Amino acid sequence: MSKMLLASIFQLILLLCISPLISGIIKTLKARLQMRRGPGIFQPYRDLNKLLRKQMVIPETASWIFAAAPIMVFATSVLVGLLVPMITAEAPLSLFGGVLAVVYLLGLGRFFLALGGLDAGSSFGGLGSSREMTISALAEPAMMLAIFTVALSASSTNLSEVVRGAIGQSWRFLVPSQMLAFAALFIVLIAETGRIPVDNPATHLELTMIHEAMILEYSGPYLALIEWGAAVKQLILMTLLINIFYPFGLSLEWNAASLAIGCGSYLLKLVILSVLIVLVETTNAKMRLFRVPELLAVAFVLGALALISTFLF
Amino acid sequence: MYFYQDTQFGERMITLMAALVLVLQIAMVGQRWLVTNIRVFAAQSFLLACIANTIAYYNHAPHIYIAAALTFLVKVVFVPILMERLVAKIDIRQEIEPLINIPISILIAGGLTLVGYVVAESFYHPKEGISPATLGHNTLAVAISLFLIGFFMMINRRKALTQVLALLSLENGLFLAAISLTYGMPLIVELGVFFDLLVATMVLGILVYRIRETFDSMDVSQLRRLRG
Amino acid sequence: MLEGLIATLIANGWVAVLLAYAAGSMGSILCLRTASLGRLLSTGFGVAGGLLQVWVSLATILEGNTVSWAVPSGVPFLDIGLRLDPLSAIFTLALGAVAIAVSVYSFGYTSALTAGRSAILGFFFNLELLSLSLVFTASNAFFFLIAWEVMALSAYCLVSFEHHREATRDAGILFFVMSHVGTGFLIAGFLVLHSMTGSFEFANFHVTPAPLQYGALFSLFLLGFGVKAGIVPLHIWLPAAHPVAPSNVSALMSGIVVKTGIYGLLRVYFDFLGKPPQWAALVILAVGVSSGLLGVLYALIEKDLKRLLAYSTIENVGIILMGMGASLFFSSISKPGLAALALAGALAHIVNHAMFKTLLFLGAGSVLHGTGTRDMERMGGLLRRMPATAILFLIGAVAISGFPPLNGFVSEWFTYQALLAGFGSTPSLTKLVFPVAGALLALTGALAATAFVKAFGISFLALPRSSESEHAHESHWTMLVGMAIPALSCVALGVGATWLLPALDSVTAQLLGVRSSASFVTSHGLVLNSGALHGGTVSIPMIAILLILLSLTAILIGSAGFRRANRRTGPAWDCGLPGLTAENEYTATAFSKPLRMIFAALYQPKREIQQQFDISPYYPKSVLFESEVEQTFESRLYKPLKDKVLERANRLRAIQAGSIHAYLAYIFLTLVALLLFGARP
Repeated sequence: MSKMLLASIFQLILLLCISPLISGIIKTLKARLQMRRGPGIFQPYRDLNKLLRKQMVIPETASWIFAAAPIMVFATSVLVGLLVPMITAEAPLSLFGGVLAVVYLLGLGRFFLALGGLDAGSSFGGLGSSREMTISALAEPAMMLAIFTVALSASSTNLSEVVRGAIGQSWRFLVPSQMLAFAALFIVLIAETGRIPVDNPATHLELTMIHEAMILEYSGPYLALIEWGAAVKQLILMTLLINIFYPFGLSLEWNAASLAIGCGSYLLKLVILSVLIVLVETTNAKMRLFRVPELLAVAFVLGALALISTFLF
Repeated sequence: MYFYQDTQFGERMITLMAALVLVLQIAMVGQRWLVTNIRVFAAQSFLLACIANTIAYYNHAPHIYIAAALTFLVKVVFVPILMERLVAKIDIRQEIEPLINIPISILIAGGLTLVGYVVAESFYHPKEGISPATLGHNTLAVAISLFLIGFFMMINRRKALTQVLALLSLENGLFLAAISLTYGMPLIVELGVFFDLLVATMVLGILVYRIRETFDSMDVSQLRRLRG
Repeated sequence: MLEGLIATLIANGWVAVLLAYAAGSMGSILCLRTASLGRLLSTGFGVAGGLLQVWVSLATILEGNTVSWAVPSGVPFLDIGLRLDPLSAIFTLALGAVAIAVSVYSFGYTSALTAGRSAILGFFFNLELLSLSLVFTASNAFFFLIAWEVMALSAYCLVSFEHHREATRDAGILFFVMSHVGTGFLIAGFLVLHSMTGSFEFANFHVTPAPLQYGALFSLFLLGFGVKAGIVPLHIWLPAAHPVAPSNVSALMSGIVVKTGIYGLLRVYFDFLGKPPQWAALVILAVGVSSGLLGVLYALIEKDLKRLLAYSTIENVGIILMGMGASLFFSSISKPGLAALALAGALAHIVNHAMFKTLLFLGAGSVLHGTGTRDMERMGGLLRRMPATAILFLIGAVAISGFPPLNGFVSEWFTYQALLAGFGSTPSLTKLVFPVAGALLALTGALAATAFVKAFGISFLALPRSSESEHAHESHWTMLVGMAIPALSCVALGVGATWLLPALDSVTAQLLGVRSSASFVTSHGLVLNSGALHGGTVSIPMIAILLILLSLTAILIGSAGFRRANRRTGPAWDCGLPGLTAENEYTATAFSKPLRMIFAALYQPKREIQQQFDISPYYPKSVLFESEVEQTFESRLYKPLKDKVLERANRLRAIQAGSIHAYLAYIFLTLVALLLFGARP
C-alpha cells in the first residue's frame, strides 16, 4: 500500500517533470533539422512558468465548462500516466485500470476539451472541436486493434502484464505482428498528438489548425494546464509505444541500481522515438483534412495485419 | 555457432521481410503518385530478392541465388528505370486515379489479406521445430495475399502503366509462393518467366506510349471500341 | 419457511405493482375534468408502482428464486400465467426505476396540457407501464402476445398523442405497421415452438431443435423481436416514432420498450433453445456490430436533438447485442465462464442504457419545454438559462459516451473483455472476428462521444441561436427531480459497479448455470476483474477518487490565475468582424461535416448553395445553403418494398367487390375449408 503510494508519487513527479522536456527536445531537434537554431530544450518549462503567472482573458460568452475543460484535461492525462509502466514494469496503479481505462480516460479529457472549444462561441473553437473529435474517432479503431494485438499475446488488458509478457520473449522485435502493430500505433501517435502530417502544432494559420483552433481562446493558467496536459498525454502515448514493444531495461524490482538502469534506458528510448517523430515531421507535408482518413485507414489495416499475423506467423 | 546460423533467426527474418512485402503491397494500393508507386514496387522486389537469398542460404540451394540475382536485376533495377523513363517521356499526370477511393481500397486490400490467410490455413501444417526444409512455408499466406491484392489493383486502376505495375506485383506474389514452397521452380522455368515479364513490360511500355499518342490519355476505359 | 414468506411477499408485491399501474391508469382517465388531481393520481400511482417494482425485482434477483402464478380463465390456452424469474427481474428493475423517474417528471411536464389531454396521456402512460410489466412476466405464449399487443397499441396511442401534426401521424402509422409485422413473425415462431412441444407454456418450451428447426426459430424470433429492439435494418420506425412522442413517453420507449425486444431474444435464445450453433452467435454479433456502427453514424448527422437520441438507442442496442452474441458463442463452444462474462456486460448495459437514455430524453424534453424546439440549430446558450438541466444532461452525455467513472464504461468494459477473451477461446480462424468487433466497438464509442459533444456543445454552450433559446426558462422542479433520479443512478451504477455486479449472478445462474461474480470482483470489492487469470482489471471507485484529487491538484497548480484579480473577461475572437454573434458560431451541421464527407458513401449527401450578390462577388447579400442526407434504408430497401406491396394490394381489389353476398360467401368458404381441415384424420 505504502509502496504503491510511493511509486505513484515518484511517477507523478517524473511525468510532470519529463513531459515538457520531451516537447522541448522534439521542438529543438526539429529546428536543428530545418537549419534553425531553435529555442533550446528547456523552453517549454519557461513557457509554462510564464503562462501560470499571466493574466487570463475569459471570453464573455463562456460558461463554467470553459474552466472545467483544462482541469479535466490535466487530471485525466496525469491519471492515465499513473496507469502506464514507465521505468518499472509494474505501473503504480496498474491494478486500477488497463488499456481500456487509458483509452477512455484520454477520451474523457478530449470530450471536455472539445466542449471547451465550443463554449466560447467563436467559429474557430467549433472548427477545432469538430476536426479533433473526427480525427480521434477515426484513430480509435486502429489504436485498439494495435493494442489488442499486444494484449492478446499477453492475454491481458493490464499494461503491466502486457509488458511483463513482452520482457519474456526473445527475438520479439523481429516478430512481424509486433512491427506492424508498432507502425499502426505510431501513426495513431502522430494523429493523437496533432503532429505533421495530420495537424501542425506550430501553426496558427486559420484554416489548417485543428488542436490549436480548439484552444484558441485559452490563455494564462488555463492554457498552461492544457499545454501541460497535452505534453503528459504525448509522453504517455510515447511511453506506451516504447515500453510495450521494446521493454528493454524496464526495472522489475525496486532497488536503486535497477531503477537507475530503468531511468536511463527509458530516456534513451524516448529520445530515439523523438528523433523518429522529428524525421517524420520534417520529411512530410501536412495533409489536407480529407486525406487524413486515408492515413488512418492505413493504420487500421496495419493493425488488422498485425492481428492476422499473430495467427500464422 | 553464430546467431546468423541459427535457423530460428532465419525464420524470423523471412517472416519479417514477408510482412514488409505485404505492407509495401498495401502501400502501393494506398499510394497516389505514380513514381512513388514504382519505387515502392522496387523496394518490394528488393525485399523479395532478400528473402530468396535467405532461403538459398539456409537451404544450401544455389540455384535460388540465381533467381534472387535475376529478381534484383530485372525488378529492382531494370523495370523501375524503364518505367520511370517512360513516365518522364510521355509526360502524363502523375496522380493515379483509382476507380474506388483510397480508404476503401485499403480496407478491401486488408480483407483480401484475410482471404489469403484463410486459404493458406488449409495448407498449413505446423511441425515440431524448424528445420531448414520448412523454412519459409509460412509465407504462403503472404504470397496468396500479394497475388489477390495485385489482381485487385489491376481491376481498380485506370491507366495502363499502373496496370503493368499491378501485374508485376502480382507476379511477385507468384515468385514468393514458388520460392517458399518448392525452393524455387526449376531454373529454366524461372528464366522463362523472367523473360516473359521483361518482354511483357517492354511491349506494354510501347503500347502505353502508342495509346498515349492516339488518345492523349492512358485511361484504358477509353479503349472501348475496337479499331481496325 | 422464510423462503416461503419471501416468495409470498414477492408474489403479493407484484400483484400490488400491477394494481398500482392499473389504478394510475384508471384514476387518470376518471379525472377528465380536474387536471391536477388526475396528474397527481397518475404520478402517485406510477411512483408507488415503480418503487414496489424496484423492491420486488431486487428481492427476486438477490434471492435468485422464481415465483409463478397461474389464474385459469376458462378460455382454452388463455391462462393468465405470470412468472417472475431473475431474467425478468432485471428488466422489471429497470422498468421500475424508469417508471419512478418518468412519473415524477410527467407531473411537471404535463402541467401545460388541458385536463382532458393530460388525463388521456396519464391513462395510456400507466397502461403502458402495466402492459410492460406483464410482457416481462407473462409465462405463456398467448398471454405474452396479448400483453405484447396491449403494449404496442398503447405505445401507438402515446406516439400519436400530438396527432394534430402530420409527421406525428405518419410516424405513428409506421410504428404501428412495423410493430405488427414483428408480431406476425412472433406468432409464427411461437406456433413452431407449439408444434414441437404441444404446449403454449413457456416452461415447456425448453427444446433442443434440429439444425433446420433452429434456423427457422432463430430467424423468426430475430425478425419478430428485432423490430421492437430496433436492430438495423428493421429500425426505421424508431427514429421516426421516438422523437415525435411527448418526451416523457420517448424516455420510456427508448429506455424500456425497446428492451422488450432484447428481453424476447434473451428469453428465446438463452432460455428456450438449447445450445446454439456458432453461426447463430456470429449472426447476432454481426447484427450488433452493424446496428452499433450505423446507429451512431446516423445519430452523428442529426440536428434534431431527439432524433439523435433515438439513433443512439439503436447504437446501444447494437452494443447489447455484441455482448449477447459473444455470450452465445461461448455457450456454443461450452465455455460457461466466458459466456457469463459476456452476458454480464450485456445485462449491465441493458440497465445502464435504460438509465442514461431516460435521463437524456427527459433532458431533451426539458429543453423542448423551455425553448419549444427540437432543432439544435435553433438552440445554444442554454447552459446559462437552464443550468440544472444542463448539468444533468451533461452527466447523461458522459455516461452514454462510455467514459469512466460513470456506468456506461462498466458495461462497455465487460463487453470489451468478453470480445478479447473470444480470441483465445477457439483455435479456428473465427477468432479473428472478436478483436475486429472490439475495434469496431471502439469506433462506435468514439463516434458516440463525438455525437454527444455535438448534442451538448451545440445545444447548451455559447450563444443562443434563436429568440426561443434566448428566452428559454428552467423547468419545473419535479422535472428536474425526475432527471436527477436516473442521473444519480448513472453515477451509482458506475462507481458502485463492484458492489452491484453480484446481483447479476442469479441471472447467469439461471441462463448459463454459473455464478461468476466472485471472480469479477477482487481486492475488497474495489476492483473489477475480467475473471481470467491475468485478465484486465479496473477500479471505477479509485478512478473517481483519483480524478477528483487530481482535479484539485490542477486547480492548485493554476490557482495563481484563478484569483479574481488576475482574470479579466473579454470578447471572444470574432474573426475581425464587428462583434461575435450567433451567426459566427459553429452549427450542428457544420460540426458533423467532416464525418459527413468521410462517410459520404453511406450518407450520399446532396447540397445546394444559392448566393445573391450585390456589388462585389466576394460579399454575397444572402446565401441559401441546403444540405440533405439520403436515408439509405428508407429509400433503398423500404420504398421498393412498400411500392411492391401496394401494387399487389391493388390487384387484390378484384375480390373486394363490395357486395355483402360475396363477403358472406368468403366467410362460408373459409368455414368449410377449416372444418374439412379440422376433420382430417
